Amino acid sequence: MSEAAFRAIGEPHRRDILRLLQDGPQPAGEIAARFDITQQAVSQHLKVLRDAGLVAVSTQGQRRLYSVRVEGLAGVRDFLAGFWPDSLARLRQAVESADDG
Amino acid sequence: MTAEPVRAWIRIDAPPERVWEFFTRPEAIVRWMGEFAVLEPRPGGEFTVNVKGAPVRGRYLELDPPHRLLLSWGYAGSRELPPGASTVEVRLVRDGAGTRVHLEHRDLPEEETPGHAEGWTHYLARLAAAGTGDPGPDPGMRPVRRAAQVVAESAEG
Repeated sequence: MSEAAFRAIGEPHRRDILRLLQDGPQPAGEIAARFDITQQAVSQHLKVLRDAGLVAVSTQGQRRLYSVRVEGLAGVRDFLAGFWPDSLARLRQAVESADDG
Repeated sequence: MTAEPVRAWIRIDAPPERVWEFFTRPEAIVRWMGEFAVLEPRPGGEFTVNVKGAPVRGRYLELDPPHRLLLSWGYAGSRELPPGASTVEVRLVRDGAGTRVHLEHRDLPEEETPGHAEGWTHYLARLAAAGTGDPGPDPGMRPVRRAAQVVAESAEG
C-alpha cells in the first residue's frame, strides 16, 4: 500500500466515501448529497482518492461514476483474503434461506 | 512469482446439489455475489459477475457437478489482475445433510509492499462488512451495517 493511499484513508470523510462506494458506483453529486460538506470539498476528496489509486472513474452516458478500485488498496491478495470469507458467509445465508423444493 | 493462494471454507446446511446451483445459475449467484451475472456453466463458458461495481471476468474451466468447479478470475480493466489471470477452485464436500465448501484462489500476483498487509486487511474487512447488507438471522455472522448508515452516523457524530 502506497504512502499516498495511507494519507488518503487518513481522513474520515474519505473513509466514508470509500465505504459508500463499496455499495456500488456513484456519481459525484450523489456522493456529495450524503455529506454535510460542500460539493467542492467532496470533489477534492475524490481527487485525492483517485490520485492514490483507491477509486476509479468510468463514464456511463452523461454521468461519471466513481467506484472502488479493488486492487488499489493494498493489492489483490489482501482484497481477496477479505472478500472470500465474506462472500462465503453470504453464500451460506443465500443457500440456507432459499425455498426448499 | 505468485503469492500464496487465498483459502476459505464454510459449512452450509444444504446438499452439494443445491449449493452447486449458486455457482452456476445467474439468478442464484447474484443472491450472494454481485448484482449482475452472465454464466455459461460449461468448459470455456463465460463467467461474468459485477460485484459492487467491480467487473469480475473469467471462464469456467472445469466442471464436475456437484463436486468441483474451476474458474478463471480477473477484473476488466485491471492491470494487476486482468481477466483470466488467476484461478478459483471450488470443492463441495458432502458432510452429513450439509456441504463443506472449500475455496482456493490461486495464481495471484505477489504483493509489491507486503509490510502493511495486516493493518489494511483489517480495515478492508470493515469496509466489506459495511457493504454486505442485511445480516439475516444467522447468529454466526457478524452484525453489519449499510454504508449509508455508516455515513449518516459519521455525519451526526
